Amino acid sequence: MDFLNLIIFVVLLGLGYGVGRHQEASHYRSIFAREKQLQSLLIIQSRYPPALDPPPQSQLVTGSVVVSVDFFRVFVANLRSLVGGRLTSYESLLDRARREAVLRMKEEAHALGANMIVNVKFESVSLYKEQRNTVQSVEAMAYGTALIPGHR
Amino acid sequence: MIYENPPIPEGINVSREHPLKEFFQLTIGLALVTALAVAALAYGMGFLARSIPFSVEQRLAKPYLGPLQEQSEIEAYLQQLADRLTAVHPLPPGMTVSVHYLDSDTTNAMATLGGQIIVFRGLLQEMPHENALAMVMAHEIGHIRHRDPIVGLGRGVVIGVALATLAGMSGNDIVGNALGSTGIMTLLKFTRDQERDADADAVVAVAALYGHTGGADAFFRTLLLPAAEVPGVAAPQFLSTHPLTETRVHAINEHAASAGYNTTGATTQLPEPIHALIGVEDSATATDSD
Repeated sequence: MDFLNLIIFVVLLGLGYGVGRHQEASHYRSIFAREKQLQSLLIIQSRYPPALDPPPQSQLVTGSVVVSVDFFRVFVANLRSLVGGRLTSYESLLDRARREAVLRMKEEAHALGANMIVNVKFESVSLYKEQRNTVQSVEAMAYGTALIPGHR
Repeated sequence: MIYENPPIPEGINVSREHPLKEFFQLTIGLALVTALAVAALAYGMGFLARSIPFSVEQRLAKPYLGPLQEQSEIEAYLQQLADRLTAVHPLPPGMTVSVHYLDSDTTNAMATLGGQIIVFRGLLQEMPHENALAMVMAHEIGHIRHRDPIVGLGRGVVIGVALATLAGMSGNDIVGNALGSTGIMTLLKFTRDQERDADADAVVAVAALYGHTGGADAFFRTLLLPAAEVPGVAAPQFLSTHPLTETRVHAINEHAASAGYNTTGATTQLPEPIHALIGVEDSATATDSD
C-alpha cells in the first residue's frame, strides 16, 4: 500500500465515521419524536386479539427498512471479528432499523385508523449473504394485525 | 387484561461507548500484535538465514546467472574496484563477490544471492568520480557481508505467507490490507536498518581504500537534487525501503566523523570506459533538446 492508498483509506474512514455519526444522531432524533407521537397506538405480541365489542376490523400492516453499513463500521466490525466480543458498531444500526420498521408499521396502522396492533413479529434478512467485499446490508421488518375499531 | 406500551429506557440494545474508543483500541491493539509478530519472524528468519552456508547461497544463485555472464571492459573495472575494496576490508572466509554490469537506464546497483552485485549503466552515468562509485560498491559489498540477500529472501517468503494467512482470516480485504500494510511497514524498518548497516560498513571500506571519506556521499547528494523536482507526494520514511537520502548523507558523514576518518581529500577520476558512458548520455540529451 503506497502513500496515496493510505490517504484514500484514511479519507474513506473519516468520511464513513463523520457522515455515519451525523446520520445516526439525526435518525435517533426522528425516532424519538415519532415514537412519542405514536405512543398511544399499542403494539402487542399476543396472538389473540382482545374480545372487543363491537368486534374490530383487522388488517395486516407491515413496516420494512433496508440498512447498509458505512466504511467505518465495516472496518471496526471486521477488526472486532478477529478478536471476538460485542459488535457494537452494528448494534446501533440494527436497533435503528428495528425501531424504524416498527414506526413505519405503526404509521400504516395509524393511517388506517387503528388503535392497536396485535401479533407483532420481527424478521431480519441479511442481503449480502457473507460474500467478500460486497456492501453489507440488512432488511429489518415488523408486521402484525392492526385492529380498527368497529361500528355498531 | 390491561394493554399498555410504557416507554422503554434507552441504551439496552445499544452500547453507550464512543465508537472511536473501540476503533482506537482495536486498531492500535491489532497493529501492535501484527508488528510484534512480524518483528519476531524477521528476527528469527534473520538468524536462520544467516546460518545457511554461503556455498548453498552460491548454488541457489547459479541457475539465474546466465544472462549476466558477458565480460566487458567496464565489468572488469567494476570487479577490480570490488576486489580492491575487499582487499582492504576483507570479507569473512569463503565469501566472494562477483560484479556484473547491465546496460540499463536504471540508476541503481543491487546485491543478490551468492555474492552477486549488479551495477546498471544509469548508475555509472551519475557518478562524478571513483570515490562515489566505491561508496556504492562498498555498500553492496556490505549487504553481502551481512548476508542481506538471503535474509531478505527468507523474510520475504515467511512473512509473506504469514501476512497472506492473516489477510485471509479477516473477513474483508480492507482489513486484510490494513494488517498486511502494518506488517510490511514493520518489515521496512528492518530493510532500512540493513541499508544503514551497509552504509556504515561502506564508510569503513572506503576510508581504508582512500585514506579518507571525501566524496563518498557525492552520489547520494546528486539524488537529493532531482528529488525536489519529482511531482506528487513524497512518501514519508515509514513507507520507504531505504532511509531518506538526507538522513543517509547525514548518517554517512556522522559515522565517518565519529570513527575519526578524514572526511575530505582528493577524489580519484573514473577511468576512460566509464567516461565514454557519460558522453553517451550527454549526446542523447543534446539530441532530445533539438
